[in-house]
Amino acid sequence: MADKSKGLSKAKEIYRNRSVRAKELKAEGKKIIGYPCVYVPIEMLTALDLIPYRTYGDIREPVTEADRALPTSFCSIIRSCFDCALKARDDFLDGIVVAHSCDPQEKTARLWESYISYPYFHFMDIPGTVRPEAMDYFKGQLSDLKKTLEAFTGKELSSDRLKAAIQSHNIQRALVRELYELTKPEPPLISGTDILQVIKALMSLPVDEGNELLTQVISDVKDRTDGPERKPVRLILWSSTLDDVEIMQIFENGANMVMDESCGGIRAFRAKVKLTDDPLDGLAQYYLEEITCARTFRETVLGETRKDYLEDLESRFGYLKDFAQEWKVNGAIFLLVRYCDPFAFEVPSLNDYFDSIGIPSIYIEYDYAQGALAPLRTRVEAFLETIS
Amino acid sequence: MGSERIMAVEEKKKVINRLKSMYPLRAKVNETYQKSVEAMRAGKPTVWAMLNWYYGDPILKAMDLEVVYPENYGAILAATGYAQPYLEYADADGFPTHLCGYSRATLGYTSKMMRELKGEIPSEAPLGGMPKPIFLMSSSAVCDARYKWFQALGRYMDVPVWTLEAPMPGVKELFMEGSYERMVDLGVKHLREFVAFVERITGRKLDWDKLDETVDLMIEVNRLWHEINELRKARPCPMHSRDFWSAMPAALFLMGDLEHSLQCFRDMYEEVKERVKDRIGAIAEEKYRLVFAELPPWHSLRFFDRLAERGWNFVVESFGYRPPIPLDLSGVSDPLEKITRFSLQVFIGYYEDALEQNVPAGALAYPYLKYAREWRCDGALLHPLISCRSASTHLPYVANLIMERLKVPSLTIEGDIVDLRLFDPEDAMARAEPFEETMEYYRRVRKQEGFDW
Repeated sequence: MADKSKGLSKAKEIYRNRSVRAKELKAEGKKIIGYPCVYVPIEMLTALDLIPYRTYGDIREPVTEADRALPTSFCSIIRSCFDCALKARDDFLDGIVVAHSCDPQEKTARLWESYISYPYFHFMDIPGTVRPEAMDYFKGQLSDLKKTLEAFTGKELSSDRLKAAIQSHNIQRALVRELYELTKPEPPLISGTDILQVIKALMSLPVDEGNELLTQVISDVKDRTDGPERKPVRLILWSSTLDDVEIMQIFENGANMVMDESCGGIRAFRAKVKLTDDPLDGLAQYYLEEITCARTFRETVLGETRKDYLEDLESRFGYLKDFAQEWKVNGAIFLLVRYCDPFAFEVPSLNDYFDSIGIPSIYIEYDYAQGALAPLRTRVEAFLETIS
Repeated sequence: MGSERIMAVEEKKKVINRLKSMYPLRAKVNETYQKSVEAMRAGKPTVWAMLNWYYGDPILKAMDLEVVYPENYGAILAATGYAQPYLEYADADGFPTHLCGYSRATLGYTSKMMRELKGEIPSEAPLGGMPKPIFLMSSSAVCDARYKWFQALGRYMDVPVWTLEAPMPGVKELFMEGSYERMVDLGVKHLREFVAFVERITGRKLDWDKLDETVDLMIEVNRLWHEINELRKARPCPMHSRDFWSAMPAALFLMGDLEHSLQCFRDMYEEVKERVKDRIGAIAEEKYRLVFAELPPWHSLRFFDRLAERGWNFVVESFGYRPPIPLDLSGVSDPLEKITRFSLQVFIGYYEDALEQNVPAGALAYPYLKYAREWRCDGALLHPLISCRSASTHLPYVANLIMERLKVPSLTIEGDIVDLRLFDPEDAMARAEPFEETMEYYRRVRKQEGFDW
């Protein structure tokens, strides 16, 4: 039991039984709000004393119920996530916020609202570009979310409360970045598998409890002597999301995963929300511009009339080069589930970009199901063997 | 060909009683395409555009730019058998095979044109091909592929991309205070920036009076087109889906000359109205009235003739291609605001009804509930497409919705937009016959439950 007080063990425990704490909080009278995507501004939930709870799929759960509502040629992560919802896996939720982060999220939002009766449901539209007029529109969307949350809770969301919540979440973002600093040494002090568990745990906890957990984890990792072994390859992962340790371990059997640029890794923590006079300005800017999801259309210069492919690559993927250099990466994995269009369209260009910076890469497509893990393992092993 | 066979073919042609007024409209659309290709080949600035539901098209038209739609061209490549080699180029370049088939065909085509042929149009390209554009006009409406695909073309040509914003709110969220006006504000500001972009890149100034005229014509053409489709509620239905799909490019893509199109749609309105008065149906004997969703199997449209022989009349179809429910824009003076309100109406025009009927899928799914009810349908033919998720995702929901609310059954027949082998007309016909029994059964159920058809 003593070991469970340690941060990593605690994170592992939460990862395995994610809903335990949410249910405890629910029993104490708190309201729990689900969100299936990191585009949902959870600062607003925190500010209103709601508990944000990220909803996931389950790679071990065969999709059965979702078949009545969604075709099979559809993002298998969202299919699984919706399947779990139909099976009342998260029946303690008091509501859900779905964002128009991608087409499958937008389409499934309608189904979520139709098939499952939550006391609270909100759909938040997100523009496709980062243009100033799109930013204004998006701020309006945040304002609408604020209003429905206020109506649901019967509380006013004051600017001060929202700023305080932003600060708490910014602390969390800074702590996650600090956690990733611990993968810079060779060998890294913490594995990608451990980080995945920590981040999934964070997304199941109130922000302050998450920050305590992170502080504990960072302290533990710095003190421990039994970190990961040094492997011949240091990998960066680029993916829509990776949320299962069994998948991560496939990579870490032959490599050190030192950077995970996905929604299960650093993506939601890479930058921080600016504290602006109107906090909605800072939130709008952060969520529309700073989250590096392939769903957003970006240009080198807004409204450019001249295009240069290499400049375009640099402006879209330059941050990955920074990761690669700072974390001394020597291999890149582009991991996507089948039918993930926004990310899949990026693959050849991203491959060009990694070629241009001299880092070998591989694109691997899989289905979000346990049966898909064996072929995934084979491809990863072959790639690692080639580059090491 | 023997005379008996000729007669048999002619007889087949008559199975669907096509509208006479459709032919001149369609001829103009085809002629426009040819002229456009010639102009483009002669060096006139060309724009590649996504179907954008009116946001950008009237601006391009008013600025006299030639426009080609790679989505349509993808369908042409598929139907003429030229898609496969281009798909292989896209595959070889590393694009995942599950991506939108039209996008893969365009990516492969562009790869060949720009890398292998150094900018020359591939000689085998049907209908003159698509020359290198001066810019790409994508749209964030309906699916992610619509703008990611054009962004991905940057790999082959240094051509700027403009992504048109197309907001897509939730049903109840639309009716929050200020929500609609914020969407209008986004549209107007965004289109103003778009105009400035087009002016910069082409060196041409937009004639705002011409834009105003173009927009008014676009609105009137689509109002008439809407009224024509309303007339199809009559029993027997006077116009078949095949006429809808033939005429649709003139209203949706503004193809052809808008003045000419307006006259054709007026003629069409009169013809359809006359048919309603005289109780003339689009097929000889209307036994079953059907709604079709979404994209038809373009390469196998004769399939509908065979169904027509069995008494299947397709009376309403394809939400994504239909004109918006008319909106009074007479008090709006800014053409960009007119465009925005008109374009928004395509998707949110059904939201008020959808909210009342408690259907959160106000665009894409709810319209089919309205169609099945108001056009008195006996069944729905749903055509999910393996590589077009935006036209397929909602179909299981549609099937559930119209069954639960109206006791209208659905027949689902899978296909694809470029892999034509997936749609098997013989298999589809084999499934059509037993579906007639299902439609008969639910006709009785509806009567028992008090429906009036």
